[in-house]
Parts: sequence; C-alpha cells; structure tokens
Amino acid sequence: MIRFSAVAKRYPGGLEALRGVSLAVEGGEMVAVTGHSGAGKSTLLKLAAGIERASAGSVVVQGQNLGALGEGALAVLRRRIGFVFQDHKLLFDRNAFENVALPLRIAGLGRQEAARRVRAALDKVGLLARDKAMPVALSGGEQQRLCIARAIVNRPMMLIADEPTGNLDADYARAIVDLFASFHQVGVTVLLSTHDEASVERLGCRRVALAAGRVAGAEDS
Amino acid sequence: MRWLRLQALAAGDALRRLGSQPVASVLSILVLGLAIALPVVAAVILKSVAATTAGLDTEPHVNVYLALDAGPDDAKRVERALRAEPAVSGVRFIPRAEALAQLQASTHLAELLASLERNPLPDAFSVRLRTADAARVAGMKAAWGRLPKVDQVVADLEWSERLARWARFGQRIVVGIGVLLGGGVAFIVAHLIRLQVVTRREEIEVSQLVGATAADVRRPFLYHGLLEGLLAGAAALGLAAGFAAWASHELSALTPSYAMEMKVVFLGPTERAALVLGAAALGLAGAWAAVGRELRRFAAAARDR
Repeated sequence: MIRFSAVAKRYPGGLEALRGVSLAVEGGEMVAVTGHSGAGKSTLLKLAAGIERASAGSVVVQGQNLGALGEGALAVLRRRIGFVFQDHKLLFDRNAFENVALPLRIAGLGRQEAARRVRAALDKVGLLARDKAMPVALSGGEQQRLCIARAIVNRPMMLIADEPTGNLDADYARAIVDLFASFHQVGVTVLLSTHDEASVERLGCRRVALAAGRVAGAEDS
Repeated sequence: MRWLRLQALAAGDALRRLGSQPVASVLSILVLGLAIALPVVAAVILKSVAATTAGLDTEPHVNVYLALDAGPDDAKRVERALRAEPAVSGVRFIPRAEALAQLQASTHLAELLASLERNPLPDAFSVRLRTADAARVAGMKAAWGRLPKVDQVVADLEWSERLARWARFGQRIVVGIGVLLGGGVAFIVAHLIRLQVVTRREEIEVSQLVGATAADVRRPFLYHGLLEGLLAGAAALGLAAGFAAWASHELSALTPSYAMEMKVVFLGPTERAALVLGAAALGLAGAWAAVGRELRRFAAAARDR
C-alpha cells in the first residue's frame, strides 16, 4: 500500500527531515510512527499522503510512484486518502457539516448522496448532534473528531493521522485511539504518528520509531 | 454528470459571493460598465455620423468630359479605355442631353438654359475609382487627357478624401479607447478576483490538502470573473442605450431646421451580443490571470515553509 525506498526530504534552508528512510505498510495494516518531535514523523506522513514531495528516493502509494505524478494526479490521489491534520485545518467560516462536506464538494458528489455521507461520518465520530455548530464552538477533542469525520467522509482505503491524540486528555485520547482501531477492523490501512506510549500500547500494532530522520527501530508490540 | 455538477457548484458559489456583498458588487459592476460604455458611446456617435454622411458621395471619382464634336463611336472608344484601367470601379456615361436636363432641374438657370440655341454641355463619363492615391490619380488623369476627343479630365478628390480620413481617424480613436478601457476592465476584474483569492487563501489551501486540483480551485473564481464581466457588459449596454435614447431625443428637436437628416444609430443585435460576450471574456481573462498568479504565489510560499 505504501512503500518508501531510501527516501530523503530536505527543506529549503537546509533542514534534513528524513534521511534514507525505507519502509513498507501493507494493505489493511495499522502502523504507528513514534519518535520525539522533530524526528520526522509529520514529514513522513505528508510524503505518504502526497502533500509533500521527497527530495530523494521513491514513495509508492497504491501502486503509484508519487514522484512521477503531476500536481493534478497527486491531488486526485489525495482524495483517496483520509488525512487527519495535527492542527486540524478546519475552516472557521463554516459549520461542522460544511467542513465535512468539503471533500465531497471537490469530488463533485450529488447533494443528497453527500448529505447522507456527511451525516454518516459525523455519526461515526459522535458529532451528529453538533452538525450546525461552528468550529470555534467545539472543544479541542471535538475539533479533532470533526477533522477525522472529514478524513473518512470520502470512504478512503487509507487513513493517515498526524498526532491524533496530541493535546488531548487521557480519556479523549483513548476514545480517538479506539476510533482508529475500529477503522482498522473494517479493513482500512491506518498510518498514524504519536509520541504517546499509552496510545501505541492500546493500539497494539506495529510501530516504526523515527529518530533524527532515520528509522531507529521497527518492532511488533 | 460530475463535470456538470462541478460547473453548477462553482457557478452557484460565484453567485453567492456576488450576492453576499450586494452594494460592493453593484458598485464594481457599475464602474466596469461605465468603462465599457465609454467606447461604446463613441462607436455609436461614429456610426451615427457615418449613417448621416452615407448619403453623401465620398468615393473618389473623376469626371471625363468629351469634346463637343465627339460622336457615339468616340464615346465607346473612350469608355473602353477607361474600363481597361484596373483602379476603376465603375464608369457611368452621362449623355449631354441628360446633363442639360439635370442642370435645368437642379438649378435656377432653367430660363437661361432654355434660351440657348444649342446644348453647351459635352458628353461625359463619371468614373469611380478604387484609389484616392494622389500620384495614381494624377497618372490616370494625364493618360485619359491624352485620349482623342477627350476635352477635359476633372478629379474631385479633396473633400471626399478629407471626409474619409476623418472617418478613419474616428474609427482609430474608438478602437484605441476600446483597447485601453478593455484592458482596464480586465485589470479591474483581476484586482477584484485577487482580493477574493487572498481572503479565501485558507479555504484554498485546505481544499488542496483534501484533493482539490488547480482547476477545482480556479473554477469558482473564473465563474466570478465571467459573471462580473457579463453583468458589466449588460450594464454598459444599458448605459449606452440610455445615452442613445437621450441623444436621439435631443437631435429630433434640432433636425427640422436642417435639410440633412440626422439620427442616432444604435448597435445591431450581433454587436450587442458581441459587446456582452466580449465583456464576459474580459472578466474571464482577468480572473484567470489573477487566480493563476495567486496560486503560484501560494505554492511558492508553501515550498518555503
């Protein structure tokens, strides 16, 4: 599903976020990427989602070499991947329903079908009753779940989440972790990053540890 | 189906944006409409002047007068020589009797002419030319003057040439103003769209993150520009029509005192359609340029982060 071969990522200004990372995530697998902040977790996830491009090496996702794809094809690929952003990336000028509907609008889905899917996604994350709420009126945990609803509304085969439990108290974090476990159970490939040991323990999945842009150790827990 | 839905969504989005700030939208469309109306009014004036002077003969022509003793055979020979010249677009023979009749009818000399024993006028040809080029006309004049039984060749070029020159000048001014203000319209639309793009930057970036292509991002803005241009074109048409109606009313009060009939000629249906569509195209072009530029800037900023 995802295959990194000797991937490096250098940012303008000289920061080397990843160096020679090789990694494979099979279809239907769940993998947790761990490491301190600055280890390159976010960069790895963004490369896997086609949000950023590798400086060297190849990233193959769903059989497509992302380095060879043009901007348009990359955008279309992103529609098949649900991404949960660390900073949520919600739009504050529209309500919860409209935020979740955004990917479906872009995909050009019919109004009724879109509304049905938005409600299903909101229901899945427990926000159906708050569909008219503006994001500012939602708590941090609710905003996180809204972002998850937007990521799953397109029914992606692959879900990537950047620190989905960051800044959440333990109870909230457990609920979010269970949510991802439930997506994994229905066959969705899940790749998430976290620095929270408790979450990794609870997920009980393979972990890839990053340190200073390199894979430090991979193990099954 | 998906394509149609995307277009409908984008068009709806653009309409909502226009409607969400009605006063600002109306004002900007009015400004654009005024800019477009200016050259349109100039064109209407030019068209009206052209229609008024159309009754006047502005094509260059030369009169060739035969000698009084020229016979029908001589006339035929001269006519063949005149028609052989490629710059000649038409030759009309004016028999001397007809010329006399015309003179009697159109002047107050009837009595004097009637008292004459014989017709003092010669047979003549009125020759229309395709060119007003002075050197060529002079060459033809000289050649025709040497033909046997040709008495005199008179070119009547100056005033017609001057009128044609003024008409050409007027057209160029109208085209010049049109190009300048058309460019201005495209720039104004580009500026308005640029503001829209900048204020919606967050939405654009998030949309791109969840799978919007450059075309998806561009689409609503293009519809916005197209709509603004279309409405501005319609406004310009309305303003110009209003001017034409007013001018027509003013002229009708003046006309009776002059022999010349003056009237306002407004744009025909094709021209009206071309005006509105052209304005829409300008809006579209302005929006395209603005969105493309801003998207490139966003992309560059994202790379540098």
